[in-house]
Amino acid sequence: MPPKPHRILLDRVSGYADEAAAFMRRRRVARRPFARLYYPSGRSRDHAGDSTAGAELFVAAGRLIEVAGKRPKP
Amino acid sequence: MAQTTTTVIQEARARDTVGIFNDVPDAAATEAVSGDSAEAALAFLAEVSPDLRGAAILGGDGSVLAAAGEPERWGEDAAVLFAAADAAGDEAVEQVHIATEQGEVFALRHEGLAAVAVTDRFALASLMLFDMRATLRELARGRADAS
Repeated sequence: MPPKPHRILLDRVSGYADEAAAFMRRRRVARRPFARLYYPSGRSRDHAGDSTAGAELFVAAGRLIEVAGKRPKP
Repeated sequence: MAQTTTTVIQEARARDTVGIFNDVPDAAATEAVSGDSAEAALAFLAEVSPDLRGAAILGGDGSVLAAAGEPERWGEDAAVLFAAADAAGDEAVEQVHIATEQGEVFALRHEGLAAVAVTDRFALASLMLFDMRATLRELARGRADAS
């Protein structure tokens, strides 16, 4: 039996809502700040922003971003 | 198809790549890099990196060889960053990548020189670090040719 027309519409709307939710979830993950250090031995380490080392790294990075300023728009 | 276990691959990677990273900063190695060549290297870095907002090239002793903007502030802030990064672990750091809402910061030590760069968000990290490494390598090569 073919689906009722309003069901097609509902499915389409919920499909778009799912896509939007997935996009927002990916965006939230991608936008999360991080501090990653790489060592000569080849290992790397992440530091959370709420740790002491992480906080110091974020402060230092913030100062550098400030001194670099905004990029002039072409 | 025969497969190698991950553990073996990781061991091989550690064994084979350790030599690549042996060139940790050496303050004595920064002598004879001229300001002009450092400026040229910085201009090259800015040209090949479209996401770049600003950058600085430093000697192993922390002296600013070239910078986009205020050299004193770049020197001070880069020193603070490297100090914080070194203090975060039990050995000197080679690369730093920090992403914030306002932008991304990259720092790299290579062949006795150091580079610090600030980019827009979501810059390609591997490409940025590759360009910075290539810039420092060329600068160091120029220094070796001059001496």
